[in-house]
Amino acid sequence: MTPVGMLRTEKLCKSFGGTVAVDSVDLNVRAASLHAIIGPNGAGKTTLFNLLAGEMRPTSGGVFFEDREITRLDVRERSHLGIGRSFQRTNIFRALSAYENVRVAAQSRTQASFAMWEPATRLRDVAARAQAILDDAGLAALAVRTAGELAGGDQRLLEIAIALATAPKLLLLDEPSQGLSGEDALRLMARIRTLAERYTIVLIEHNMNLVMELSDEITVMNFGSILARGTPAEIRADPQVREAYLGSRG
Amino acid sequence: MNVARPGAFLVLVALVAVAPLVVHYPVLLTQALIFGLLAAAFNLLLGELGFLSFGQATFNGLGAYAAGLLLVHVAHVPILVALLVAALCGAGGALVVGALSMQGAGVYAVMLTFAFNELAFYLAFQLRDLTGGDNGLRGVVRPEFIGISLAGENAYYYFVAAVFLVVFYALLRLIDSPFGHVLRAIRENEPRARAIGYDTRRFKVTAFTISGAVSGIAGAAYAMLYGFVPLEVVNFDTSTNIVIMGLLGGTGSPYGAIVGAAIFTLLSDRLSRLWAHWPLLLGILFCTVVLTLRGGVIEIVHRLRPSTPRRKAPLRSG
Repeated sequence: MTPVGMLRTEKLCKSFGGTVAVDSVDLNVRAASLHAIIGPNGAGKTTLFNLLAGEMRPTSGGVFFEDREITRLDVRERSHLGIGRSFQRTNIFRALSAYENVRVAAQSRTQASFAMWEPATRLRDVAARAQAILDDAGLAALAVRTAGELAGGDQRLLEIAIALATAPKLLLLDEPSQGLSGEDALRLMARIRTLAERYTIVLIEHNMNLVMELSDEITVMNFGSILARGTPAEIRADPQVREAYLGSRG
Repeated sequence: MNVARPGAFLVLVALVAVAPLVVHYPVLLTQALIFGLLAAAFNLLLGELGFLSFGQATFNGLGAYAAGLLLVHVAHVPILVALLVAALCGAGGALVVGALSMQGAGVYAVMLTFAFNELAFYLAFQLRDLTGGDNGLRGVVRPEFIGISLAGENAYYYFVAAVFLVVFYALLRLIDSPFGHVLRAIRENEPRARAIGYDTRRFKVTAFTISGAVSGIAGAAYAMLYGFVPLEVVNFDTSTNIVIMGLLGGTGSPYGAIVGAAIFTLLSDRLSRLWAHWPLLLGILFCTVVLTLRGGVIEIVHRLRPSTPRRKAPLRSG
């Protein structure tokens, strides 16, 4: 029997005009697992991700988080339920310091954000959390640097650190390794491996090494539907997947 | 980093206190302070939130007419009540204009603030019985303050200076507060601010409302300065001048607004005596500053003192 997932979708559909981007997808993400969604370009991964994050509303079907229906909730409301997300294109507060990027995200979990008289530095817990997350991400030495001036790999780590600062239960990572190579990609992989011990993660990723190495479970999409699901070993052995996706690599 | 750090603010207090000893023209100095409030309210939106409001005169006008009408028609209104009513009217107007304008995205929101300004202007122009139309609202009295007569121009200057310093200090506190930090996050990246859980619209409209309240106070102080509310308080030229003062001083620091307002007020007074076409000179100055000092005149301070923390990249502070 499959345990009921932390995040589920039921017959989730999204069409744009006549094009069906996501077609009746039943997803089941178990708590404390790293669940990767892969598939060729145009398979509907990003649309599915946007439906999970609340960036888009589905045409039909439902999204459930911890057995609560969240289909109609927007990004902000889902954030407060404990769904944190990172973005495919680095999406940070560029002119603010790396520290402030994380600090203001941590502040979003307090009731103090409409306080207008006391300095923000008085929020000691927020400051401590932000510092701990930066330390953990290996960005402590860059805390005072302007976020927009950080190197690409550091920005990707900051991107994830911002999401972590909102104390999520579930982390949605949208192609975190995009644009990274060599050393940076390895650093990111190591970071995600660490995070996977503590968070439930849904990962969209093109980097197959990263997916095969880190995932507990993989869902393969093709033409908007689920083609296969299973452990990395099962996916690797699946002839359908090989043909549709992995095989195309030659 | 702390913009409310006492040093800079104490310098401002000292400058405001000694200004009448240097420039023997208290009415002009009072006007500079009033413009300083308007520019500071504008810079709260542009500098912190990243929102360009092209209709700040709307709230200046609301405050001026509200206080003016109160002081014309009701006897013995305490001066602080007049200011409070003006602040509330400016805030109320800004709440409505802000909530409606921010429905639009980007440049449309900017144009909506402009459109509402035009609407306010024509209302003030047409409602002659109430506002006096283009003749202005006459007979605005200047009440005393806890028994102290403010009839003298120096006395009124110091009263406005106190109001100015209190309001400006509150803005400094706000900029450093958790609320102020959220405004800057929205300025940098609104979609991301939403994604980390902030109801960005509420923050934007609240900031707009506060900006309106400050502008309303400025309007009331202006009405009492001249004993009269001219139609100009709500016209688009005033909104433009507020934009010029804000950008001239610079949005990188709240003090930029004060610098911009002071330069604008004192210079237009001097230039207008020299040459009838003085706005041309002011225009040239404005263009020069914007093209060469993108951070406004206040940028000079930052260049001379590289150690001065810039608000754009707040440092960690304990």
